[in-house]
Amino acid sequence: MSDFYKKLVDLYAGNELTEELAGEMDQAAMRDPELARDMFTLRKTVETLQDLPKPDLTEESDYRILLKMQIQGAEVRRRSPESSHWQYHLSINS
Amino acid sequence: MSGSQHEDSLAERRWLNALAKGDPNALGGLYELYGEKIFRYTFRMLGNRSDAEDATAETFLRVLRRSRELRADGAFRTWLFRIARNLCIDKMRQHKLLELPTDAHYTGTEERATLRVTVQQALNDLPIEYRDPLVLCDLEEVSAKEAAEILEISVPALKSRLYRGRRALRDRLGGSIEKLS
Repeated sequence: MSDFYKKLVDLYAGNELTEELAGEMDQAAMRDPELARDMFTLRKTVETLQDLPKPDLTEESDYRILLKMQIQGAEVRRRSPESSHWQYHLSINS
Repeated sequence: MSGSQHEDSLAERRWLNALAKGDPNALGGLYELYGEKIFRYTFRMLGNRSDAEDATAETFLRVLRRSRELRADGAFRTWLFRIARNLCIDKMRQHKLLELPTDAHYTGTEERATLRVTVQQALNDLPIEYRDPLVLCDLEEVSAKEAAEILEISVPALKSRLYRGRRALRDRLGGSIEKLS
């Protein structure tokens, strides 16, 4: 049965299994140290990867990107998109 | 589709239509929508801020150059990532980059911060066919379907590369990952 679970380790690591099947694998891992090691290390790898900090688009980077575009002749204006759906005309005489 | 994605999709359509008509606000609008995502992706791929800034600027300049051909048919975001990816590959070939980001900040306990540096280095050392799906799916949370479209491969091929990439990364991390409890 362990061979069946070994084929599912990639799905287990990416949390792509149903809760029930993941539970079955946890049970199987208790009886199979090799399977347990594969499951643990692969899931930890994915979790650690997903836990890496996001690169921050700083104001300085933002400025330099826009400047690079402008140097190349692009006109870049920053403004919210206009939409008639987003505009509300409120009376000032209420 | 979430509310935020729906709003992005509406804004994307408006800006693309505006771009086709020569509206000078349109490029800035599209940059507002996708600039940060493209910067993050290029930073992850190239490993340094300066090259990521270059690649991000060039990606949006290509939007401007192709403005007459672009259509608001839902494929724009995928096309944008694909352009950014190709620019990253060109830069990697030019510089053989992939050193650790010099301005990356890793915080937390010393052990965890050290592990993050190790993971980043191991990721940078992976072949591009493995790094691509890991960056898109595990770091930038792009769906498997969209990642496959960006990489111009099938979803099963994408999944296969993703799984092999994770295993390759784990093998490069060696004992560091087993020490985690």
